[in-house]
Amino acid sequence: MSGAQAAGLPSREADSAAASAVKAMQADGRHAEARERYTELVARHQRRAGRIAFHYVRDVAEADEAVQDAFVKAYSHLSTFREELPFEVWFTRILINGCLDRIKARTRRERWLVPMPEYPNQAQGFAERVPGPGPSPESQLLARERRQQLAAALARLPARQRSVFMLSHYEGCTSREVSALTGLNESTVRVHLFRAIRKLRTLLAADGAAPESSGDKRRVNP
Amino acid sequence: MSILDRHAATRHLDDDDLADIWSRAATDGRAASHPHLTSCAHCRVRYSAFTGWLGELRSEAHAEADGVFPPERLAAQQAAIVRRLEALERPARVIAFPRQTRPVSGARPLARRWIATAAAAGLVIGLAAGQILDLRHAFDTSAQPPRPSGQLTQGPQSAAVRQPGVQPASLSVDETLFYDDESDATARGARYMPALDQLIPRARDDSDRNR
Repeated sequence: MSGAQAAGLPSREADSAAASAVKAMQADGRHAEARERYTELVARHQRRAGRIAFHYVRDVAEADEAVQDAFVKAYSHLSTFREELPFEVWFTRILINGCLDRIKARTRRERWLVPMPEYPNQAQGFAERVPGPGPSPESQLLARERRQQLAAALARLPARQRSVFMLSHYEGCTSREVSALTGLNESTVRVHLFRAIRKLRTLLAADGAAPESSGDKRRVNP
Repeated sequence: MSILDRHAATRHLDDDDLADIWSRAATDGRAASHPHLTSCAHCRVRYSAFTGWLGELRSEAHAEADGVFPPERLAAQQAAIVRRLEALERPARVIAFPRQTRPVSGARPLARRWIATAAAAGLVIGLAAGQILDLRHAFDTSAQPPRPSGQLTQGPQSAAVRQPGVQPASLSVDETLFYDDESDATARGARYMPALDQLIPRARDDSDRNR
């Protein structure tokens, strides 16, 4: 069982078959049917795609746009899809490339624009500040701090390590799948994952968000 | 079993070992397996704490992403994707350019341009003609021999002034009269000039006397 299946994802074969069927419908000119069938694929992969895009771009609106663009691009380029590659891998590659392009564009933009300071409390309306039935403000604050620490630590990882960690750990991809997605060797994927975890642990331990590592590097049993 | 293998099997696992075991298991999609983990309860506990920490990271990340993509947002996103797919299949619509209420002709700006050009050309031609006439006038005046100083005393010279050929061809009656009067006055004045001339002492006379 692959990591993706363990994460509750639909079978790769079914997705690939559906993608091939859509491709055949497009070729026959049955566009309405193709669209309908493709919408099922969209519904199956949408949540996961949104998660990946958000972890890359760290902005809801941009992640939303990146997901939309990736689905539209995949549909319009479905004629180039080959069945030997799982649809999920092919689509995720399109998505990641789109996200990386967006990050690059944003970096270029931020070189010239000064970002406005964020005041989340002022942006909220009064009704939103009234305590609701959800988690308490303290726990919300703590959770937000933890997530910010994790996001900051992830952002400090080199791009490849971050990609490998997110795909392997968050999305449950195997080294072969990560290799297909990133174009790295399987052994390189393993090395990047190991280094990413080690660095994350160090970074989060410094922030107090990870358990202290064992002081002795090599302890021998008495 | 070599000494190194025995040493590796007996020593406790550190964080790097735990990360290595976990990353191998994660990338292969299999359960973690290490000879020391099966035999050492202490390291098993540490490994489970390590995997628990990583699991927390994942659940935090998933919770954060799922929080920003609630079902309503996903539904809206799906609808937007379907709309865009439909738009892809529709042939591109050519939007007609708004029709002109009156015909746009280039005559007006062209006429304006012609007027400006004609004005500029007129100015240049006028300046050039002025220059040419001025040069001609200068040439005519320089071509006449300079008059000697005693010329005014001579009657025939003053009469020459009155010659009709010297006068400009297109003079009005008043101008002709004025011209004639002026010539007469000059001729009259010239008649008295020798008497005045004799009264004026000259430097040459002084030098003759000194000699």
